[in-house]
Amino acid sequence: MLKLFKEVLRVGTATLPYPFEPIEQMPGFRGKPHHDPEKCIACAACAIACPPNALNITTDLYQGFQTWSLFMGRCIYCGRCEEVCPTGAIKLSPDFELAVMNKADLYERADYKLAACRNCGIYFATVKEVEYVSELLKQSGMPEADLTDTLSMLDVCPECKRKNDVPKMVRGFHKEGSDGH
Amino acid sequence: MTVWQEEKTRIGGKHIEALRARFGSSILDETWQAPDQVTVTVALNDLPEVVEFLYYQQGGWLSTVVANDERPINGQFAIYYVLSVEGVDESRAHEKTYVMARVQIPPHQPEFPSVTPKVPAAIWYEREVRDMFGIQPIGLPDERRLVLPDDWPDGLYPLRKDTMDYRYRPEPTTEDETYEFINVEGEGIVQVPLGPLHMTSDEPGHFRLYVDGEHIVDADYRLFYVHRGMEKLAESRLNYDQVTFLADRICGICGYAHNVAYSTSVERALGIEVPARAEFIRTILLECERLHSHLLNLGLACHFVGFDTGFMQFFRVREKAMQMAEILTGSRKTYGVNLIGGVRRDILNEQRTTTLKLLNELREEAARLINMFVETPNVVQRTQSIGLLEKKVARDYSPVGPTLRGSSFARDIRVIHPYCAYDRVPWQVVAKDGCDILARTLVRAEEFFESASMVERCLEDMPEGPVLTEGFKYQPYHYALGYVEAPRGEDIHWSMLGDNQKIYRWKCRASSYNNWPSLRYMLRGNTISDAPLIVASIDPCYSCTERVTVVDVRKKKATMYALQGNGTLLHRPQGLAVEIICSYPLIFTARLIAEMCGQEGDRRYAKTL
Repeated sequence: MLKLFKEVLRVGTATLPYPFEPIEQMPGFRGKPHHDPEKCIACAACAIACPPNALNITTDLYQGFQTWSLFMGRCIYCGRCEEVCPTGAIKLSPDFELAVMNKADLYERADYKLAACRNCGIYFATVKEVEYVSELLKQSGMPEADLTDTLSMLDVCPECKRKNDVPKMVRGFHKEGSDGH
Repeated sequence: MTVWQEEKTRIGGKHIEALRARFGSSILDETWQAPDQVTVTVALNDLPEVVEFLYYQQGGWLSTVVANDERPINGQFAIYYVLSVEGVDESRAHEKTYVMARVQIPPHQPEFPSVTPKVPAAIWYEREVRDMFGIQPIGLPDERRLVLPDDWPDGLYPLRKDTMDYRYRPEPTTEDETYEFINVEGEGIVQVPLGPLHMTSDEPGHFRLYVDGEHIVDADYRLFYVHRGMEKLAESRLNYDQVTFLADRICGICGYAHNVAYSTSVERALGIEVPARAEFIRTILLECERLHSHLLNLGLACHFVGFDTGFMQFFRVREKAMQMAEILTGSRKTYGVNLIGGVRRDILNEQRTTTLKLLNELREEAARLINMFVETPNVVQRTQSIGLLEKKVARDYSPVGPTLRGSSFARDIRVIHPYCAYDRVPWQVVAKDGCDILARTLVRAEEFFESASMVERCLEDMPEGPVLTEGFKYQPYHYALGYVEAPRGEDIHWSMLGDNQKIYRWKCRASSYNNWPSLRYMLRGNTISDAPLIVASIDPCYSCTERVTVVDVRKKKATMYALQGNGTLLHRPQGLAVEIICSYPLIFTARLIAEMCGQEGDRRYAKTL
């Protein structure tokens, strides 16, 4: 018993005055995901990786918008979104004080304009995603001729590309055939 | 199906030879999933004898039973009895292997001979198979539901592939509780139910004690009030990578053990080799988890014998273990660092140094507290020779972890089936032969120090290199086991991959599942005041709400009182069997009696009791 009293006296008060004083987080603590709408291209990689469906991407093909949204009520702070994001737009912050008075405050959303296909006029990807791909291609070190060719097709939707490509390939075959093969 | 091609590396072929020598033509097929995992398909009618032979003649322990709706694959249901076959005596020389005795069951006649009459450990599993798949175990002594609630419609079997969407919520079929508790009758026998929320267990569980005066004659209980349908969810909505994060949430204490068990099951099924550094990181985190879990149980052990200062001190010290986890994973609980193929987060030098420093402080402080704990006469009096788990009962029911090791079996999955880096660090299995609460508690206390030195060694010996294997091939319908010695015992996961980037069937079995069925025998012969302590000794957690019913069998009258977290009663009873309630542990008896006896002023009376 005496040992115990000694121990209690030695330790003193162990509890912290939180919330009256801030509490320190260890470096690398996984708290609320912080979204940078400037960097985000709404490619949906995070929404696909998110285990609890806290992150969602919805597409409005009439208005031409893609909406990125995060519902903090479902987030499990696993950080998969941060891991898969190609542009570093999402990072887990040390923020853990998340109580709100209103459920709506747990939602975050950002709208991104969609790019319409040059041929058919149907929306197929966000403008920023197309720009991002274009930048990537420019820095990929492709030969100049190929690059111009690929870039010229960037604003065409996959469906139209397929329709375009097949006749092109067929023409290619004919051409090769007439060369004497 | 998965086949482990390299015959030379197989472990435990002798057990299969013995099985073939005994049953010959009843063994229809043999496939190897991993060096120490083999599936033996046996004739349906010989199932009980095969399992009995493996269990008692070959030194098997029942790890889990997996039912699987394989109709879309081969037109049949299948059940796998998974046994860890370890040889009859405890010599280390025996090859130790997981044998899955598999039977196929035709869908037009969904029945199989029950194994329970021959191997009692199968009881819960067979009740579960019956609930979830509608496959009838013929000859099962206990035909009550286990998992499904009373108001679940008959004939709706959740885990069959063609029955229901995972979001479907059927209308309740009844308003009443229809579960029949066993009926123990006799002159002077009174039922004392505890529950449906038990103070010592995080999960709600309803216990019914049959007492003669102070002494427990028998006990019955039902659990699964919080069955979350995780297996169905994993098979339906998540892909195989996402399930790791769900596995983290199976348990609030040892979630990471489940996470590793799941990840390794998939890795084995796909033949993925995990980098050595990742295996060390997993070992470190698993042992960190054991550190905080064992301190939690030691703290609660203090709490339940009325030594609340000890409880507070253990929780203060435990905080350091939580900080270690926060440093190493970024989260105090739900570490979430595993992916199929390794881990997502490396341990940096700085983190290593801080962890080692914290670990030393933790070990020193915990050592002081544990000394005080065992020197407190109250603790020893309340735990010695209480809640005996006899060796025979332990052998029959396959309990796991400290519950088993307190009854002199030195059985630890980390040694029997080494996984992660446990075969690369020196450590000792802890076993005690007291068979009582004290033995189980002391096993945990000693294991705490083993874990601490393991964390230290792993942090020091950790090899350099990558932490994640990527670019493996996903192969449909491969399956394997993953297993981890969690703080409460062996967690075992069985995963079969599907053909859609998902899991086809995931069976996770937590350690407590194997411990509950033997609890009845631990309770018998003790006084009701020890009941909550005995339940706590298998190490579930405590809950903040308690409901107490007192039933007088002779008067056939039951009254139920709800006790709120702050110790006050929701409804004040009118004069009743205070005697029975008095025997609850001090902490809540005093409050309860004070409540029952009336106003504040009567608290003095309560104290004198």
